[in-house]
Amino acid sequence: MSVSARRSARRGPLPGSPGTAAAIAVAGVALALPLVLPGPQVSVYVLLLISATVVTGLSMLMGFAGQVSLGQAAFTMIGAYTAALTATHGVPTWAGLLLAPAVAGTAAALVGVPLLRLRGHQLAFATLAVQLILLSVVGRQEWAGGDIGLQGVPRLTIGGYEFADDVAYAYLALGVLGVTVLVTRNIVRSRPGRGLRALATSEVAAASAGVPVALYKQAVFALSAAFAGLAGGVYAYYIGYVAPGSFPVLLSFEYVVMVVVGGAGTIWGALAGATAVTLLLQVLNDVGTREGMPASAPAVLSYAVYGLLLVLVVLFMPKGLVPTVADRWRRRAPAGRGAAGAEPEPEPAPVK
Amino acid sequence: MSAFVQYLVSGIAVGCGFALLASGLVAIHRVTRVVNFAQGMFAVVGGMTAGSLLSSGLPHGAAEAAAVLVAGAVGLAVGFAATGKRGTSPQSALIVTLGLGFLAYAVEIMIWGDNPRSHPGLGGSVVLFGAHVQKQSFLVIGVAAAVFALLGLFFGRTYTGKALTACASNPYAARAVGIDVVRMGLLAFALGGMLGGLGGVLLTPLQPISYNGDVLLITNGFAAAILGGLDRPGVALAGALTLGVAESMVAGYGAASYQTVVALVLMLTIMMVRASRRTALQEEAAR
Repeated sequence: MSVSARRSARRGPLPGSPGTAAAIAVAGVALALPLVLPGPQVSVYVLLLISATVVTGLSMLMGFAGQVSLGQAAFTMIGAYTAALTATHGVPTWAGLLLAPAVAGTAAALVGVPLLRLRGHQLAFATLAVQLILLSVVGRQEWAGGDIGLQGVPRLTIGGYEFADDVAYAYLALGVLGVTVLVTRNIVRSRPGRGLRALATSEVAAASAGVPVALYKQAVFALSAAFAGLAGGVYAYYIGYVAPGSFPVLLSFEYVVMVVVGGAGTIWGALAGATAVTLLLQVLNDVGTREGMPASAPAVLSYAVYGLLLVLVVLFMPKGLVPTVADRWRRRAPAGRGAAGAEPEPEPAPVK
Repeated sequence: MSAFVQYLVSGIAVGCGFALLASGLVAIHRVTRVVNFAQGMFAVVGGMTAGSLLSSGLPHGAAEAAAVLVAGAVGLAVGFAATGKRGTSPQSALIVTLGLGFLAYAVEIMIWGDNPRSHPGLGGSVVLFGAHVQKQSFLVIGVAAAVFALLGLFFGRTYTGKALTACASNPYAARAVGIDVVRMGLLAFALGGMLGGLGGVLLTPLQPISYNGDVLLITNGFAAAILGGLDRPGVALAGALTLGVAESMVAGYGAASYQTVVALVLMLTIMMVRASRRTALQEEAAR
């Protein structure tokens, strides 16, 4: 636990030029962790990295395109089922891992055509509806294993190397998260990224300034779904079992909590949010399963924490953990250093 | 024929329950512009409280009324959290109500456990066109009709009801004539809580309710309410009845497992059609 706590402290944002140094430090710690963590903690770490991958994409969708998805777990589910179905039908697992994000992204692109005409709370409910429909339909399909799901998904094998234990999957998940973060970072800093921020503030103004609003929204929705699908693929190979029950609506809400807590529209925020929420839940789970606690204690504690975190952060820290802390830091830091090396951080749009 | 009547009546009854939920959603949205995600939670709280009060020995009627009042108090509390802090945008308030739904899960599991619960309603059934129809279904329909009539009188004839409507149509002008818009918002939340709670109290004897049943309830309520753009209670009532009957028919003649899918697809279709009639410019101007 102490190691994890130290890492989460190091994940704190450092403004301006030390940013690269911080990134390298965090990457170093993240790479060392699977080797130093005690056995059972590694699997928590893998699941944390998988969540962080989904949350990075969702954070981009919420913070930059200003669209809330309450059904992001639907795309994780599509990715996981793609990986599981292809693997159980004899397709090489490395191809399955590539297909997972492709199928999830394509599904999002297709669903997005009608869906993204909606905004705000309507889109939130529409994405939720899509996930409920998917859960209900998949639960009835014989070929997808119905409510029982698909068991015995083979382990991932790339070029003859089989990812067999938790540590191998930790590195796989780290690699996947790394790719996700790099892609997101490059998009955010590019011209389309600025266009996305513009359309989050006002679609009309962005369109009149020449931003292809519909196309960009579509693209970022598909991309965030592809990240979720990729994470789902890793999940399927790691756990070896997928069922509709593994991707409940609550999982989607959990992703939203992570995004809001960390701070929508920042990569550091997504990582910090996923880390903070996962660690908190882990601690509470330890407390809840102690002797003398009632059987429902873990569930009660985790729901209470989700609820409190979400309400308190939205009301009192609407920008989220990372942007708020970064602002404080910048104000405290001597003006000279802050101004010289500071790269202007993109201001995330408010959560809608 | 007998099966058809049975499905029709039970569909209308369930639809009336959705309509109560949806009208709460509409009442809150009209006044505060907040889409209350915790609306389904009110129904769960109402239904479960009624069950507990009944088993503790309170007579029918008193227990149900008390449960509705409890749900109203919960609604007021949700209103305080979601709109009490100045400068909370309706979008943030939606996320706040989502969070409050989680908190309610924790409390509900602590009090009632995580199994579905039900309580006895009006027992027995009557024979109508050769079909056995539960008496509770008629009770739901009757109460809902009475409540809608009362709501019509409340909004049309009383000072408070007119003040609520004034806040809905133009908050600025309402404030200018001395109406406390914030207090009216809280009142709307309390009213929404009571309506949601009543829906839960009436529906629970027909279908057992569990703590996480609120997601389906809120999606059904939202689907009904969105038909009138979340602003017109009459249209929401029509939408809810359609939804209830459609679900009941699909469950009866087709596959029971697809009944929620029908509701969701209907909701998506309605939203798409409505969205295609409004441009981004209109929507941003309305903000």
